[in-house]
Amino acid sequence: MITGARHGKLSGLRRLLATAMARDLKVFVIPGPDIARAHGLDINAAGLQMVASPRHASVLLVIGAIPPALREAATVIYAQMARPRALFVLGTNALLSPLPDADMTAELSQRDLIEGVQQLRQLFSAHAFRPDISDFDAPVLQIRLEYTCPMHPEVIQDEPGSCPKCGMTLVPRETQANMEHAHMEQQQTDSGTDVQMASTHEHQHMADDTPASVVYTCPMHPEVVQDEPGSCPKCGMFLEPREVKSESTHEHQHQHQHMADDTPAPVVYTCPMHPEVVQNEPGSCPKCGMTLVPRETQDTHEHGDTDSHANHTGMDHSAMNHDEMDFMSMVDVTKDLPRSTDGLPMEWIDAPFGPFFPGLPGGLLLSLTLDGDTVASSGALSLTESMNLLAHSPMDSTDFMEQLANMDPLTPVAYRLLACRALENAAGINVPADTARARAGALERERITSHLGWLTLFAQQTGFDWLMRRAGSLQLKFQHASLEQIVALKPAIQTLIKRLQRTLLLKSRTVGIGRLMPEATMRGPVARAAGLHDDARSADQTFTTLGFTPAGRKESDAFARLHVRLDEITHSLMLIEAAGAMESPTLLPVGTASGTGDATVETPRGPARLQLTLTHGQVSAAQLETPSTPHLDLVDPLMEQQELGDALVAVGSLDLSPWSSQQTFPQ
Amino acid sequence: MTAQMFFIGFFGLASVWFGIVVFRTFSMVRSALALLFSQTALGAMFLSMQAEFLGVLQIMMMATEMSIMAIFMVMFMMDPGGLGEMDMTHQKRLSLGAGIVAFVAAVAVAVFVDWGPIADVAPDAAQQTVDLGLELLGRSMLIFETAGITILTAMIAATAVAIPPVKRKPSKGATHHEH
Amino acid sequence: MTTAVLLLLLAFGAYLVAVLENWATSGRFQLATPAFSALALLGRESVLPRKPDRIFFEVAPTLLLISAVLAAAVIPLTPNLIITDLATGALFINAALVYVLVALIMAGWGPNGAYAMIGGWRFLGQLIAYAMLIVMPITAVVMRAESLLTTQIVVSQAGLWNIVYQPVGFVLFFIAAMALAFLPPFDLTTAKGELAGGVEAEYSGVRLAVFRLGRLVLIITLAAATVVFYLGGWQGPWLPPWAWSAIKILAVTAIMLLAGRYMPRIREANLLSWCWMFGIPLALLNIFLVGVLVLVFS
Repeated sequence: MITGARHGKLSGLRRLLATAMARDLKVFVIPGPDIARAHGLDINAAGLQMVASPRHASVLLVIGAIPPALREAATVIYAQMARPRALFVLGTNALLSPLPDADMTAELSQRDLIEGVQQLRQLFSAHAFRPDISDFDAPVLQIRLEYTCPMHPEVIQDEPGSCPKCGMTLVPRETQANMEHAHMEQQQTDSGTDVQMASTHEHQHMADDTPASVVYTCPMHPEVVQDEPGSCPKCGMFLEPREVKSESTHEHQHQHQHMADDTPAPVVYTCPMHPEVVQNEPGSCPKCGMTLVPRETQDTHEHGDTDSHANHTGMDHSAMNHDEMDFMSMVDVTKDLPRSTDGLPMEWIDAPFGPFFPGLPGGLLLSLTLDGDTVASSGALSLTESMNLLAHSPMDSTDFMEQLANMDPLTPVAYRLLACRALENAAGINVPADTARARAGALERERITSHLGWLTLFAQQTGFDWLMRRAGSLQLKFQHASLEQIVALKPAIQTLIKRLQRTLLLKSRTVGIGRLMPEATMRGPVARAAGLHDDARSADQTFTTLGFTPAGRKESDAFARLHVRLDEITHSLMLIEAAGAMESPTLLPVGTASGTGDATVETPRGPARLQLTLTHGQVSAAQLETPSTPHLDLVDPLMEQQELGDALVAVGSLDLSPWSSQQTFPQ
Repeated sequence: MTAQMFFIGFFGLASVWFGIVVFRTFSMVRSALALLFSQTALGAMFLSMQAEFLGVLQIMMMATEMSIMAIFMVMFMMDPGGLGEMDMTHQKRLSLGAGIVAFVAAVAVAVFVDWGPIADVAPDAAQQTVDLGLELLGRSMLIFETAGITILTAMIAATAVAIPPVKRKPSKGATHHEH
Repeated sequence: MTTAVLLLLLAFGAYLVAVLENWATSGRFQLATPAFSALALLGRESVLPRKPDRIFFEVAPTLLLISAVLAAAVIPLTPNLIITDLATGALFINAALVYVLVALIMAGWGPNGAYAMIGGWRFLGQLIAYAMLIVMPITAVVMRAESLLTTQIVVSQAGLWNIVYQPVGFVLFFIAAMALAFLPPFDLTTAKGELAGGVEAEYSGVRLAVFRLGRLVLIITLAAATVVFYLGGWQGPWLPPWAWSAIKILAVTAIMLLAGRYMPRIREANLLSWCWMFGIPLALLNIFLVGVLVLVFS
């Protein structure tokens, strides 16, 4: 049985279709293909084809236990898939609520994956169609309607109505029922909206102390003014209420340019030769006798206070002819839209990229506000569980080490080593030199694996198929390679690197993209690509005796980060050969020692530091600093005002691990 | 002959109908594409009148032009999806008047101009293309070139107008946003 | 009769393109896979996204297919094997292919999804640049043939293929054709890693099947157009004309499909600026050179 079968009886032609669907399994991987590879799974070799959109998938493959936030996101993905669809879970028997029950479960290994796929095929050919299916529903799929103004995205309310700012009819929009009103729109504080909001506020404030009456006017045809609410005879839009003030406030309008934008400009008369002569009636100049010329008070642009530059463009003047031309002016219509730096007002759209986006690390959610296809603002969020270092306190040291090693599926060895080092440091144990060397070898092997995984993700993001296959298969080969195998794989790595240096378009795709000024928050390869030579291995005697030198570049862009990682792969190969041994770290017995420990390990993403307190051989307090946490904050400045493709390459070049980054919620 | 008349009439009506759709939808994209299909129907009308080159050219040019119009409408209008149900018509009286005048003028031109003797058979398509080319580079060259230069000038001027002017001196006593 | 034969050949060609594409992406040469994929697509539900622009969403895949088939109508495989040898053939190909753009705008706008919409508008934004690189090289080809008839264009290359006569035009046309068929590295509109499938992202089931079929036909049509305009069409020694057409078309298709595997997707800004800054001047230069050659040698 498949819970997500398609409606209908399995007969005749449908039998053929079911067989075809069983042969053609398209899979959407959760949390992502990067996690699958980190677990040593080769999904293509298992006969599944990975797709980028859930709509094209027939199998949702869940790898390992996933935290609740990701489960909810996965439920949405599942609901988007076209039936017949199946849920295939690897490596966990835990309930995945709100996801439906798994149609198939298997252990987390390539052999079990292949077997599972065979069984899935049988399931599909036998049960793809079913006469009695029920709709899948989950709380996370509930839709709530909210109403927003097409021109003022910050206006959001639950009831239909008209916009308090411009009077347009609010437009219904769907959101998740259980979401708070924490919309990205409210953070869209582009100068345009910001100033506009401020001026409206001021406007109302001033209206308090002047006698005012209310008239109704069309947001697009300011010449339409009437005493009662209604719709515009010219365009049918709802009329917007506006307060009219006595003449004394005109002086305010000289100072507050924004209000002049909102109101039909009053006409004053001035002398062409003596601009200081200004009066409300036509006549002649008392100084030279010339006939005064009419002028609209909007001309006082120069006296306007802080304003978005867009209002100073030449286009704005055409808005002044508005009344005479009686024509729908684009400038007028768009003056309230938020503006990007190029001054063009455009529709802004909010689009989530993640947490299962094909070109990003699984578990990373980027909430982007797009202005055309330029990123206007962004927020990065890791949807993995916030780290709880101590499941309970005190905690057994071995359990603690295992937990830390399982925290980040992308780099288990590095965190296992970190836990060992900190615990041994706390217990005052001296690690024998050959053990340390073997551990260094294992760490360097993981660095190669991790960097190859990054290359694969980069290739996936940029559609570089050849690299995706090559780096992906090398990553799987390196994962558990023995020393001899690594030596044998060395030429393949060298060819790969040479090939990349000759690749067309690679340079233009990465040079100058994601450029960052060197900052203290940079870690690991990102810092080393910015000319900061900080590498925890430089301070490690084991590594210095192996002949370690940190890689380094200065450009601090995606190209430099790519090359730092390529250099590090080469260095790591040399280090492994020099170490002559590789062994996954195992904890030396800490006994019942007490003390505080402090250790730093250069993980593939940068230094991770663990401080812990050991009480009678049990961990009673621990604190962890990871490289990805500060990197999450680099995302926003990196993406701002970049084209979407460049922005994604820039974020990708940071090599974030959502699994080892603490939550920093956006304000 | 009857088939030809039928298709001319059919595409003509289709063109008019799509023209009406332009104003009867709230969505900017639908509006732009309706205009495109109105123009495409005109192209098809040319084809049914055996003016192959003109028809194909019309069908080709309009697709790009109207698509570009669509993207500009989406970029600049605050409600391109038409969810706010904004009326697409304005200046109704003026446009009605202009429409009627233009229609009468077109009919008058069609009726009163002496079109010369009616050809029995249209020249074949290849010959038409040759004729058109000779016409464009002969008698009509001046008009053709003038129109071309005018459009080019208009494009350059429009671009120049659209570029925000560089401010030479910052405004007095106000914080100034740099470009 | 010819029409039926050619439509069958077109379907067969599209199938071969699917096999080649599968080979290019998965590295496995399997003859049966595309058939199963197509059947599977027919078996899957065709989901209608929430609040779509229904007309556009439904029309787009069909329009893509129609415009590709129409463009194929004026392509000769042998001197007689052509659906319609229009007197405006070379222009007609352009006219039909422009509706690929219209279809993609519809497919982008229709499903009410951000990824699709960006994909659709990206295609339009780029088209302004590379549409010129389709039209202008064809102009030079037509100048040499002194005819818009596609059969005449092939005949004009009897002495010397256009790929030698006007290599600049060939390179420009080939690149622009790949961009028009949104093949990697120009797949900005469907970009998997950037837009999760872009215009294709919201299509599923039958609609996706039609969309994919339209794209396959588009690819083979553009390859065939390249052969007709630059590689001497059906001409060649020893083998019969139809065989030469088939070999050349399949070879061009294979190159088009494979080239993108070995490089990352082009940056949007680069494609646009390179087309304007280098492509269009080169195309103009090409027209000038061909004009000189035609005047000197005829």
